[in-house]
Amino acid sequence: MEVELFFQQIVNGLVLGSVYSLVALGITLIYGIMQLPNFAHGHLYMLGAYLTLFMMTMYGFHYWPAILVSVAVLVLIGMLLERLVFRPLHNAPHINSMIAAVGVMLFIEALARKMWGSDYHRLDSPYEDAISLFGLTITQQRLIIIIAAIVLMIGLNLFLKRTVIGSTIEAMAQNREGAFLVGINANKVSLLTFGIASGLAAAAASLAAPINLVYPSMGAMVNLKAFVIIVLGGMGSIPGAVLGGYILGLAESISGTYINSEYKDLAAFVILVLILTLKPTGLFAKEAR
Amino acid sequence: MLKLVDVSVRYGSFKALHSINLEINEGELVVLLGANGAGKSTIFRTISGLVKPASGELHFNGKEIGGWSPDRIVKAGIAQCPEGRKLFLEMSVVKNLILGGFVHRKDKAEIARSLQHMFELFPILYEKKDQAAGSLSGGQQQMVAIARALMAKPKLLLLDEPSIGLAPLVVEQMFQTIAEINRSGTSVLLAEQNAYAALQIAHRGYIIENGRLVLEGSSGRLRNNEEVRRAYLGA
Repeated sequence: MEVELFFQQIVNGLVLGSVYSLVALGITLIYGIMQLPNFAHGHLYMLGAYLTLFMMTMYGFHYWPAILVSVAVLVLIGMLLERLVFRPLHNAPHINSMIAAVGVMLFIEALARKMWGSDYHRLDSPYEDAISLFGLTITQQRLIIIIAAIVLMIGLNLFLKRTVIGSTIEAMAQNREGAFLVGINANKVSLLTFGIASGLAAAAASLAAPINLVYPSMGAMVNLKAFVIIVLGGMGSIPGAVLGGYILGLAESISGTYINSEYKDLAAFVILVLILTLKPTGLFAKEAR
Repeated sequence: MLKLVDVSVRYGSFKALHSINLEINEGELVVLLGANGAGKSTIFRTISGLVKPASGELHFNGKEIGGWSPDRIVKAGIAQCPEGRKLFLEMSVVKNLILGGFVHRKDKAEIARSLQHMFELFPILYEKKDQAAGSLSGGQQQMVAIARALMAKPKLLLLDEPSIGLAPLVVEQMFQTIAEINRSGTSVLLAEQNAYAALQIAHRGYIIENGRLVLEGSSGRLRNNEEVRRAYLGA
């Protein structure tokens, strides 16, 4: 039983890690091209969860179409944020964008409270049945989270590496002026990146909502953890965000089982302290330019 | 083809360029000579739209391009190989080149042809095409930077100190290649500290000191000018 318990926790860790990685990837993409730590990212995640919830409960959508609508709307919201909030601050001192991000964060949470109240909602997934896999019991929903996250990450990777438009995001992260000089339009890349990052947050939230609850401040803790992950992985590093997400998920699930479930959320901050002490540049540090 | 009229540039309270008047005609290879910090790179950055002029006008093929965004300027036909190369170091050589042709991305056949042409111009890049640009030697990276700029099929190519940090033999090859690029119909503005080699391949030249153009003339005239000989040719 001991071994099974351990492997069960590994699976749980992968589930958590999948969600964290998707959120951290979005923050990393935005940071990579705009050097902007998007503090509002966890709140976009929250909006994504609410949208999926409402599409299902109010409009009777099935789970998957509801997620699609939520992702599409969040892509749009992300692009609007870039266009209306962050682009006008482009030539302002850097701190202004950061303050704006905090403002957006507070605004979204207040808006959610005002419109939908502070109650906790359940999102009922049609995939609650448990299945047995190699002697482990896992609900279908958890398996879906793990697989969907992998599919999304592979898709994102193919887009960034194999398409010219996707490459522009990496080009701008690797050398901003170099990107301008080959004729890449900074505004279009920023818009695209905000759209993708917000869409990923909505997908992650919609996948995770059935195993968590939906409420206005649900984004805050995810946000904090995602920032721990990108510090752990190395600011702006895409593999760092993915690996960091899984490391944190596993650390939480294992420490929650073997130490004390009360301390589950502590794992992130212990990791943060350790990484800042031992390797402040993160696991996949970008070379100094 | 390109004409700068009374262009001034400020960095905060520091005036980097004072009323620059500079002209490049179709098919010309023009050299811009000057010491470090004289303002060569600022002129280049201004032409490419990375820096906005405080006053003055930039005309390119009859259009006023002052204040245009960098991507619009590349589309109009001006590409730059910048100081410090500014390559995408973690990407392969071939991907750097493909992104160099970003403004022509819809025409896949054209991009393939341009790539072929770059590999003929710089055969060593074909051997290294799948390696990360950052893993190449300085000279090879410089070739990637020039090839990346050429992939945009510019009418005017801006080369900012392409010989910097290269071994003398490589420098000579580099200048041969630049002359060849110019002969095939691309106008070139070349910034250099290596006045001797640059004046050998250029048609005309300008001398810049402390943000001011102090002298201009044909290469022959500049080579024979007493002050140029003393300051830049070490004669």
